[in-house]
Amino acid sequence: MTQSIQFSSISEFLDMGGYAFNVWAVYAVFLVFIFVNLVFPIVRRKKILREIKKQSVFEHTDTDSMD
Amino acid sequence: MIGAMSVFMVIGLIWALLFLPPDYQQSFTTRILVIHVAVAGTSLAFFPLMAVAGTITLVWKMKLADMVAKNAAALGAWFSFVTLATGSIWGSVMWGTWWEWTDARLVSMLFQFFLLLSVVALRSAIEDADKAAKACALLSIVGCINVVIIKYSVEWWNVLHQPASPLSMSSDNANGPEFWMATGVMIIAVYLFFIVSLILTTRNEILQREKRSQWVQDIVRAA
Repeated sequence: MTQSIQFSSISEFLDMGGYAFNVWAVYAVFLVFIFVNLVFPIVRRKKILREIKKQSVFEHTDTDSMD
Repeated sequence: MIGAMSVFMVIGLIWALLFLPPDYQQSFTTRILVIHVAVAGTSLAFFPLMAVAGTITLVWKMKLADMVAKNAAALGAWFSFVTLATGSIWGSVMWGTWWEWTDARLVSMLFQFFLLLSVVALRSAIEDADKAAKACALLSIVGCINVVIIKYSVEWWNVLHQPASPLSMSSDNANGPEFWMATGVMIIAVYLFFIVSLILTTRNEILQREKRSQWVQDIVRAA
């Protein structure tokens, strides 16, 4: 089972045997799906950590003023 | 795990896009099926996972199990949606239709999508967190019935969606090694992605719930 690249030119690759719209639409949907479900949680983690930091700083200054 | 996921994902994508030979009937649209089969197969894992987590929640009241179940529901809805979308885009050229209401596979997968959305909605609808967890656990256990229906729908009612093609060692068959090996790599990649994404969202949930604990404060200080 030897496999080689199935296209001889870039335009042939982009055309996908005439099914360019369908093939590329599926890969676009798939990549957006992967991207969103990896990047959003990472961004959210940073946001959560920032909020907790803000809260704890706030609480510390609060107790300081109480002393 | 993120490393392994990236490696399988890149190999799978390059293999599927560049090296997969065209099918004699479907031409290059089999490139769609590599993605569709991997995502659809993984989407069936959500209800069993949520049912196991739900049982743990009901019996032992373990908080972590419920956090996993909560984040799995939303991710599962994504998986079901992508399965429907990719299948539809393939069907539009190979079947000549985007959708067929009489096909059991299509309708049962759509039902899974709505069922997962309703698990997400149910949780936000019930204010009491414990009650919400229990209700979602029950719905997840019941939802497993639909997974069995999805799995066997193509054999019980043969309408439009084709049954799984038997794996073959011969390149002359529809599902020869060229196709299933590329699909296999993609299935591993998508499974790893599912686990990584679920860990990331669950980790966020733990951070929020445990924000007063010492170890979270240590992370915050180090960040």
